[in-house]
Amino acid sequence: MPKPDVPSLVGGLVLAALGVVLLLDRLDAIELSFGTFAPIAFAAMGAILVALGLSRRA
Amino acid sequence: MEAQVPPSQPQPPAQPQRPRRLYRSRSDRVIGGVCGGLGRYFGIDPIIVRIAAVVLLLFGGASALAYLAFLVLVPNEPPEGAPPPPARTDRTSTATIVAIVVLVLVGGPFLLVGGLAVAGIALPLAVLALIGLLVWWLVSGEGADGGAGDVARRAALGIGVLLVCFAIFAGGAWAAGVGGGAVAAGIVIAAGLALTVSAFAGGFRLLLLPVLALALGVGFVSAANVDLHGGVGQRDYRPASAADLRDRYQIGMGQLTVDLRGADLPRGDTRLKLKVGVGDALVLVPRDVCVASSADVGMGAVSVFDRDSGGLDVEWVDRPAARAEGSRVVVDADVGVGAFEVQHERNDRFDHRGRFDQRDSSDGNEGCGTTAPGRA
Repeated sequence: MPKPDVPSLVGGLVLAALGVVLLLDRLDAIELSFGTFAPIAFAAMGAILVALGLSRRA
Repeated sequence: MEAQVPPSQPQPPAQPQRPRRLYRSRSDRVIGGVCGGLGRYFGIDPIIVRIAAVVLLLFGGASALAYLAFLVLVPNEPPEGAPPPPARTDRTSTATIVAIVVLVLVGGPFLLVGGLAVAGIALPLAVLALIGLLVWWLVSGEGADGGAGDVARRAALGIGVLLVCFAIFAGGAWAAGVGGGAVAAGIVIAAGLALTVSAFAGGFRLLLLPVLALALGVGFVSAANVDLHGGVGQRDYRPASAADLRDRYQIGMGQLTVDLRGADLPRGDTRLKLKVGVGDALVLVPRDVCVASSADVGMGAVSVFDRDSGGLDVEWVDRPAARAEGSRVVVDADVGVGAFEVQHERNDRFDHRGRFDQRDSSDGNEGCGTTAPGRA
């Protein structure tokens, strides 16, 4: 099995999870506010940046 | 006793000392290696140089201009093992530093007072170029290596990527605002899964930023609870009586005004619902009418007579009781991004930056019997 591209793998999973959160909000299953969405968005961006940094270091 | 003199050792031939030169560091760089290079040149920790650069950025932004000048004028450190570049004296490096410092010192005051149009243009351009380089570094991994042409090309590419991402962000926000948020969220999920699968076939990193921009656009609208239905523009309503009131007044983007000053309001409660996606909602009431208000504002401000609140996720509740035999208007407002105001007279309570102007403290909720503090 080929070694996966870490930023694409981490970024893809993070974005899919972010999309699920947004979909739940649009379907009124949860209610997003800036207080809840901002930490989620920053965590997503942070995870992608860490993955990019790790892949470059490797 | 005689002191013994050690035999003299043969001294190696004196090496000509290489002149100390200013380079942009290859090994210690965040953007272009300028701070790393300066730290090495002056023998100080580059972190200190970086902190100083960020602090200077906050006081007029002179460091952004200086950074860009260093980026263009100072060469990259030669790779290990590479032959040294043609000799330049220590004086040359010092002259470069002095020239840049003089440039900043001369240009800095103009930047600070904002009196010179050139400085006013140069600083935003310098900041924009740095942002472009940072974005391009994130996208491609290419730093600010090479000559001035390469640096300018990468900055331009980074700015281009940023513009495309902003367009996608705005498109996602618009789609979510007009009711297509679930579809946009589905696209984000599908693209995320496609990226995950592509990771096992080499990856497709180019998709990362656009999909993230789309998700942030949808997320922004979801967090602010923006609903763009109801049209765009300015709407003024002047109902003559409570019977003329609509169930709900709504506008997608713009200013919505409901003027009740000429309305014949009955004793007891009259309910009023407002919904604004992006913009202002203004309610004008007679002085002898009590107003009870509740509002949800995603991003913006609430101003009810002499009281106000602002920021993100503003939840406002103010439920004073009316005087005996008096009228009370119960307003329920939902504003995504913007402001909700209740006043006796039409005046511009918000200046051009969206901040509240100084108000007259006597201009309160005069029609109420008691004012119950309920602001959240």
